[in-house]
Amino acid sequence: MINAILRLSVERRFLMLSLILVLIGVGLWSFQRLPIDAVPDITNVQVQINTEAPGYSPLEAEQRITFPVETALYGLPDLSYTRSISRYGLSQVTVVFEEGTDIYSARNLIDERLSSIKNALPPGLEPEMGPIATGLGEILMYTVEAMPGATQADGSPLDATALREIQDWIIKPQLAQVPGVIELNTIGGYDKQYHVTPSPQQLLEFGVTMKDLMEAMRANNANRGAGYIERNGQQLLVRSPGQLASIAEIEEVVVANRHGAPVKVSDVAEVAIGKELRTGAATRDGKETVMGTAMMLVGENSRSVAQAVAEKLDAIKPSLPDGVKVEAVYDRTTLVDKAIATVEKNLLEGALLVIVVLFLLLGNLRAALITAAVIPLSMLATITGMVQTGVSANLMSLGALDFGLIVDGAVIIVENCIRRLSQAQHNGQLPLRERLQLVYEATNEVIRPSLFGVAIITVVYLPIFSLTGVEGKMFHPMAATVVMALLSAMVLSLTVVPAAVAVFLRGKISEKESPVISGAKSLYKPALLVAMKFRWLVLGGATALVVVCLWLATTLGSEFIPQLDEGDIALHALRIPGTGLEQSIEMQAQLEERLKAFPEVDKVFAKIGTPEVATDPMPPSVADNFVILKPRDQWPDPDKTKDELVAEMAEAVERLPGNKYEFTQPIEMRFNELISGVRADLGIKVFGDDLDQLLESANEVLDVVESMEGSADARVEQVTGLPMLSVHPKRMVLSRYGLNVEDVQALVATGIGGENAGLIYEGDRRFELVVRLPEGTRRDIDSLAFLPIPLPDGEYVPLSEVADLELAPAPNQISRENGKRRVVVTANVRDRDLGGFVEEAQARISENVDLPAGYWLDYGGTFEQLESASQRLAIVVPVTLAIILALLVMAFGSLKDALIIFTGVPLALTGGVLSLWLRDMPLSISAGVGFIALSGVAVLNGLVMIAFIRDLCHEQGDLMKAIVDGALIRLRPVMMTALVASLGFVPMALNTGTGAEVQRPLATVVIGGIISSTLLTLFVLPVLYALLHRKKAEA
Amino acid sequence: MQLIKPLYWILVATCLAVTPLHAAENARDDDTEAQHSAPDIKGPHGGLLLTREDTSVELQIFEQGVPPEYRAWVTKDGKPVTDAAELNVELSRLGGQVDTFQFAFQGDYWLGDGVVTEPHSFDVEVTLTQAGEQYHWQWASHEGRTRIPADIAAKAGIQTTQAGPGSIERTLTTYGRLTTAPEQIARVRARFPGVITKVNVRLGDRVAKGDLLAQVESNESLKTYDLRSPIDGVVTQRQISVGETAGEQPLFAITDLATLWAELRVFPGQRSEVEVGQKVLLKAEGVDQQAVISHLLPSPDNAPYTLARVKVENPNGVLSPGLLLEGDIVVETIDVPLAVENRALQSFRDWSVVFIQVDNTYEIRPLELGRSDGTLTEVLGGLQAGDRYVVDNSYLIKADIEKSGASHDH
Repeated sequence: MINAILRLSVERRFLMLSLILVLIGVGLWSFQRLPIDAVPDITNVQVQINTEAPGYSPLEAEQRITFPVETALYGLPDLSYTRSISRYGLSQVTVVFEEGTDIYSARNLIDERLSSIKNALPPGLEPEMGPIATGLGEILMYTVEAMPGATQADGSPLDATALREIQDWIIKPQLAQVPGVIELNTIGGYDKQYHVTPSPQQLLEFGVTMKDLMEAMRANNANRGAGYIERNGQQLLVRSPGQLASIAEIEEVVVANRHGAPVKVSDVAEVAIGKELRTGAATRDGKETVMGTAMMLVGENSRSVAQAVAEKLDAIKPSLPDGVKVEAVYDRTTLVDKAIATVEKNLLEGALLVIVVLFLLLGNLRAALITAAVIPLSMLATITGMVQTGVSANLMSLGALDFGLIVDGAVIIVENCIRRLSQAQHNGQLPLRERLQLVYEATNEVIRPSLFGVAIITVVYLPIFSLTGVEGKMFHPMAATVVMALLSAMVLSLTVVPAAVAVFLRGKISEKESPVISGAKSLYKPALLVAMKFRWLVLGGATALVVVCLWLATTLGSEFIPQLDEGDIALHALRIPGTGLEQSIEMQAQLEERLKAFPEVDKVFAKIGTPEVATDPMPPSVADNFVILKPRDQWPDPDKTKDELVAEMAEAVERLPGNKYEFTQPIEMRFNELISGVRADLGIKVFGDDLDQLLESANEVLDVVESMEGSADARVEQVTGLPMLSVHPKRMVLSRYGLNVEDVQALVATGIGGENAGLIYEGDRRFELVVRLPEGTRRDIDSLAFLPIPLPDGEYVPLSEVADLELAPAPNQISRENGKRRVVVTANVRDRDLGGFVEEAQARISENVDLPAGYWLDYGGTFEQLESASQRLAIVVPVTLAIILALLVMAFGSLKDALIIFTGVPLALTGGVLSLWLRDMPLSISAGVGFIALSGVAVLNGLVMIAFIRDLCHEQGDLMKAIVDGALIRLRPVMMTALVASLGFVPMALNTGTGAEVQRPLATVVIGGIISSTLLTLFVLPVLYALLHRKKAEA
Repeated sequence: MQLIKPLYWILVATCLAVTPLHAAENARDDDTEAQHSAPDIKGPHGGLLLTREDTSVELQIFEQGVPPEYRAWVTKDGKPVTDAAELNVELSRLGGQVDTFQFAFQGDYWLGDGVVTEPHSFDVEVTLTQAGEQYHWQWASHEGRTRIPADIAAKAGIQTTQAGPGSIERTLTTYGRLTTAPEQIARVRARFPGVITKVNVRLGDRVAKGDLLAQVESNESLKTYDLRSPIDGVVTQRQISVGETAGEQPLFAITDLATLWAELRVFPGQRSEVEVGQKVLLKAEGVDQQAVISHLLPSPDNAPYTLARVKVENPNGVLSPGLLLEGDIVVETIDVPLAVENRALQSFRDWSVVFIQVDNTYEIRPLELGRSDGTLTEVLGGLQAGDRYVVDNSYLIKADIEKSGASHDH
């Protein structure tokens, strides 16, 4: 079949070349649709179900909302697991589906289930699904601020409430229109509310209750339509407007009638614009602000959406009131542009180097250009493939592309064609037919080895496809892209390359033995002969090298997943549970002031607590800080590494009292929030019903784990410690006064928490009308005891008479997993093998911890992933090696030759290990990918070399001569493939920009490995071949 | 659970007190520098094992069922030493206080004389004299303590004040309506039936005692006699006009509004604290006066509350009966020798604490609290007069201590 394709390519060469145009067209079209982002998306398929429950404590939220919601989700198809948290005012259930589940159909199913439990939930509560976005979704954040001295239309200063109103009613509706934006999330400021705050004394005075007040408000705040009448042929609509529109109108509402005198709202209460009981706040550079976050729909192109949002934001600016400043503080475009620039630079420089090398070694510009043309063409084909398979372009997926590697096949073909053509031309110009035949033959001669080579490199990537979880999501795109690029290059070298050679390499083929090659040959020949003489020495040296490098490899540090540098810093500031929002803001101001003092820092901003849409439900004691750095050239010391800067910052902020920190990066932080599994090495989950019992058992488990050798950072998840003021009604006393428990609860709830008594409309805008106690009374716990509770007979009784007030810590948060309460004990393992630690922990816990009936343990954590990954790799790697061997055996029909080629792999790896060691880099998955690519190249080189030697040997019958001749002939292609492959990676190896963390180890391994592999291919392989085939030759 | 929680804390406290041991030099090598590395070896009784050559002391803070006390086991060559040894422990606390414990053998163990008071945060110095040799250990064992540099504390708004005496005024909030006392309403009738010949006052007129209200011509004697006001007050009712016949019915009501009575409702839960003679702060719109409880009487109709009657001056007549007043009854005014401001109080574990400041170091002081009002709370124990404690932003100190405490090993 290959023959047929080759023949077709050469015969129908112009047709083939015109197909290039089609490829270019399709490639460019695909490029427009290619999702581009900085990093691969590692979020799982998940749906968040948020239910806002104002005033609900964690226990109530769990009991009334979380439980019914979770129960409703049982048995969803493709459900992987559910987890939930119940906090003050919020229930969040996260539903995680199996990989590959269609998110839209999953959401539909959930929607269906949720609608069926509407009745089981407390009235007025509405579970809502979170935005259809992933960890990459937060593409742009902006702040809405007031310029100094700016005022509102009525002369009052632009405060947080006014700014929030601008955000909610001017900015948000416009930004939400931008295609690709799924949600605009707001945090900070205060939702404007109209507050009616009755004084308890005035209420008593007039014998009015809060309930009366609320009823009066509800009954006096509506417009009513009344149909129409026809009059003189004209249709008249009838309506009766009665909505309250201003504070003055609210004050005039009559609440009751006392002895003929109306009691108005203003008689018993103050009416004013008030502050909501908010759950989150935002700060910037130490001051409170209002912040909006644009979230991108899953699968969109983050760069173009972020750009569109930024443009829209600029367009909105003129429509804002004077004195309001809107500024984008985080824009994903910056990072994506940097990432793209890195990839572009690497690819461009690599491609240029490849062309130069080809020209120098081939000595023929046309041939070099034909080979180099494979680069953009295979790139376009790869992009098409990426779009088709849904792989996004990012640092990881494009990071491992090396065009040197990709053009290897084409290099071998073109080189052979040139050699054959120039040989044939010693007798003058060839007629067309002969030339075509020659091209066909020359291609055919090397196509098989190079096809096998590509096939082998592809197979080598198999283990990467077996990775699952986060690692899989990070590296699958990389492997997929490389494989696609290789396959497309292979197809091109099978079709376009021979066609182009046939078309363009006519006339006198000026194949001057380039001085580089002839110089190399004159060095190589004697060296090879020496090596053949001291063959045992060479083999011994090679073996020793392998052994040394194996040992060296064990001394290298290791890291599992590379950290992609996003250029900016994010840090969690953690305060003790129970810290109030205002307190957090104060502490935040100090923190931000300190961070801002760093000359490298451009902006500091933070989100505290939970935003409007609870995409990230944090308590008020936790703040997500974003530190946006200035461009490096503006730093006092542009060479300072980010790690150094982070260390300096950590030290500086450590001095601030009351905060604990975790440094991370914006996207990384978001991923962690979403994936949110156990991030420690070992996580022991205790499941059960009773919170106290759970905590007790968890502490027992903790004691066991802590006492074990090698355990570090062992801790129990903090589930308690939320200070709570409980108002326990006294039932006996209540009955004496003719009250129900509910009366007391309603009064406390309305008084402290406030109750919605309707809406106030201002045009489009609508604001809640809330009844609650005046701020002074609300805050004063001591006076709460004296809060008068109205009795049915118009009298009253103080709260302390009918209820006990108790201040005690309560559950801070209730976490559940798969429908059961759980508490997690986490621990890391130092200086000990993880598997052994886990086994010992299991044994000791089952021995020492006695769990009551109905309680059970579950072991999880990264150890699980490591375990499953190593189990899978233990199968996949040998299988891969077997497949490669089988391919080689197929190629040669000889196990011996296959094994000879196979020796190239460990020899190639030595260079990789050495170069890592020289550059002081750890072993990582990135480096692993480098090793994988390397073994492919090594096999390819060996394959071509051995194939040639064998053919020569068959022709000439003289083993030694065949080896030397063959090796000499193959010197040029081997050198070429080695040089292009390694030079192609040089820009990546030296890269310091965005994405360098991933590319540097990979490129370093490949460059080092190719140097060693080339040397070994050139010397050790011939020696080995000679050694193994001598007996046969002698026989 | 009720039982388990204190047990848990006992365990924690014990561990805290004995964990971070530091080896120190022997008295004999006085010239060698003190070492402060922690020997974290536990002895057979769960205490901390201090070893020097063949002598060892195991020291434990025992607090199960008893107030925290020191127990020790001394061994020489692995054999228990039960006499002829002198063991003492010195605890230097923040602020310079030093607690010294002398140990005596108690059958099973050596017992320190005295209670190891909370917090268990101190520098420990152990001295053992046995068989002519003196051994010496010292280490630091801190809890609930943090250091904040002065500049940062100032920036964070942490302010301290000196603990000292205070006056605590505890109040109860009650509500009640204004009424007039029976003696303040005079209903004037005609003594003898007759015809009104003259009426001197109109509704609302202010009259003094003895002022002429009306004249009546008696039916019997046909003599005209005067009706005079029996009290100072305001004419609040006038039932007759000239020419009408005055019979049995009251003709005028004169109400004395210069003093009114507030009937404050004292509910059963509050009753035991309220007494006659207590000061009351009366508040309503336009009212802010002090008065005294004159009487306590059960409410009419067997309602569950008690009425505290308070006389309210109304010289300008702005108040009227029926008005609702808030009355804050001062149930207790005491001068206490030591009080702290309420905003300084924070909860820490299951204690109420304040944070004392010594230079740049802050440490918890678990307090035994007495009475409290809206601003001050009496301190019965745990704090010395003159200690500087954090008033403003005390939460920051708590946050800072607990933040490091979150990863506290025990």
